[in-house]
Amino acid sequence: MKLPLLFVDELQGFYKSKVMVFLWIGLPIITLLFRFISLGTTGQAIPFTIVSTIVVSSLAGTLASVMIGISIINEKNRHVYELFLIRPLKRRDILLAKFLSVYVCIAIASLISISVGMLTDYFTTGALSGTILSNAAQSLATSLSMVAVSCSAGLLIGVASPSVLVGAILVLYGGNQTSIIPLVPTLLNTPDIVPFTIGLAAAVCVALLAAAVALFERKQF
Amino acid sequence: MSKEENENMASKSLESSNSFVTLRDVSKNYYNFKALDSVSFEIKEGEIFGYIGPNGAGKTTTMKILVGLISDFQGEVFIGGYQVPKQKEEIHKLLGYLPQNVAFQEWRTINHALKTFGKLSGLSNTEVESRIPEILDMLSLSDVRNKKISQLSGGMTQKVGLAQALLHDPELLVLDEPLGGLDPLSRHQLKDIVLDLKRKGTTIMFSSHILSDVQDVADRVSILSKGRIKQVGTLNELKSRLSPQDVIEVELAAVFEKWQNLKSIKNVKDVELPKPSKILITLDEGANTDQVTNEILQYLEKTGGRIRSIKPVLLSLDEIYLRYVEEDKNR
Repeated sequence: MKLPLLFVDELQGFYKSKVMVFLWIGLPIITLLFRFISLGTTGQAIPFTIVSTIVVSSLAGTLASVMIGISIINEKNRHVYELFLIRPLKRRDILLAKFLSVYVCIAIASLISISVGMLTDYFTTGALSGTILSNAAQSLATSLSMVAVSCSAGLLIGVASPSVLVGAILVLYGGNQTSIIPLVPTLLNTPDIVPFTIGLAAAVCVALLAAAVALFERKQF
Repeated sequence: MSKEENENMASKSLESSNSFVTLRDVSKNYYNFKALDSVSFEIKEGEIFGYIGPNGAGKTTTMKILVGLISDFQGEVFIGGYQVPKQKEEIHKLLGYLPQNVAFQEWRTINHALKTFGKLSGLSNTEVESRIPEILDMLSLSDVRNKKISQLSGGMTQKVGLAQALLHDPELLVLDEPLGGLDPLSRHQLKDIVLDLKRKGTTIMFSSHILSDVQDVADRVSILSKGRIKQVGTLNELKSRLSPQDVIEVELAAVFEKWQNLKSIKNVKDVELPKPSKILITLDEGANTDQVTNEILQYLEKTGGRIRSIKPVLLSLDEIYLRYVEEDKNR
């Protein structure tokens, strides 16, 4: 089983990348800016924890799918995978390692960003209400579900696309649209949204990952 | 050579024992383009097998089939008794491969890449730690061990590619144009490494269109053109099989004044003296070379010619290669 080795390996590659630097540092900065702008325009203080989850869910999903999709297309076109595929390992492990590493990196970035929001709220208001925390947890679960779907959509598009340009277009349109699927329980006002959201995201993820793996298994390099 | 002759030759060669790699009637189409057409050959255990052909002949396709990167093909391929691609996982344990355009993820350092590929090839942490310095030293890469591969020159990247192929000490080494992009010193170094690996028992297949490189190291050579095997054999076999039998070269220990009289021998068409001590004798087409050679020997003995050597003129590998490639171009 080479998956843990490949996962750690990919993680080392992603966490040092420029996109991840943007996510680790840039995302909290953007949420702070968002907070500043929203204060100036509405004159009404929106809990910063909520602001940060909105920013995370809108940016992280797109970044995740673009990152994973473009990375796969680039590596495929540069014949990077040849050195992996001639070794005794399962092809699916290469894709799963990439999916998990990007997802973990983005999940950590999302947590950092939301923690910044919570800390800011705590220091400015002196306390965090239970409602805010509960809403933040729900939003975080939704955004992480969306990120998971985005990642798997990016993975499938990456495997299927012949060029970076086609891949980027498909990821930005298709990937983003697909990532909305976990929001269906919210739109339908389903009671107890979180388990439904996570369950739906997991099902979509598994389907997309299975399609990507099947395509990758058949690919001739 | 007709297709039938090609097949006969291939099946005959497949009958021989101790073959480590066997390809039988391997064909591969890319839509309407036939990249490989009934390719058959074997590579014996511990030999260096040179695979030569012009660009687009199908060398890389053959190698990719061999290492399991292309599984959609017709025919049969065996490595070490395992069938490709059915028993790919077993085969990959025996295999080291250097692709033609070797590429690594941009963020990797040499050390990191070798650690990963070593572990993926089944080496333990301790083995990886001891093998990496050995390999880097062998390839003169020790000084750049912690450098990012993306910052290296093409030649250096090629060396890192070779390092990953050698790391786990594979039984079969498949090298696709390994000398491309290397400076003369590195080429020499790589040829030495290849010969050293052969001494240790590694079976090596390498492709090239630089014939002198193949000539320097290969035990046997196969010429591929337009997806078909034109010839397989040792360099001497290829030379004697393909060289014109109608020119005989006589080297003399001393100047022979009566050289022009050799023309009077039956079936001798022309005689030239390119050097004072060397005579080139062209025979009539279809003449029996052995018989005429005997008559030349007898004549020279009688007339006091002091012979140092007498032999049919053989083509160089370059000439053999060009003959086949040109033949295919003219079709």
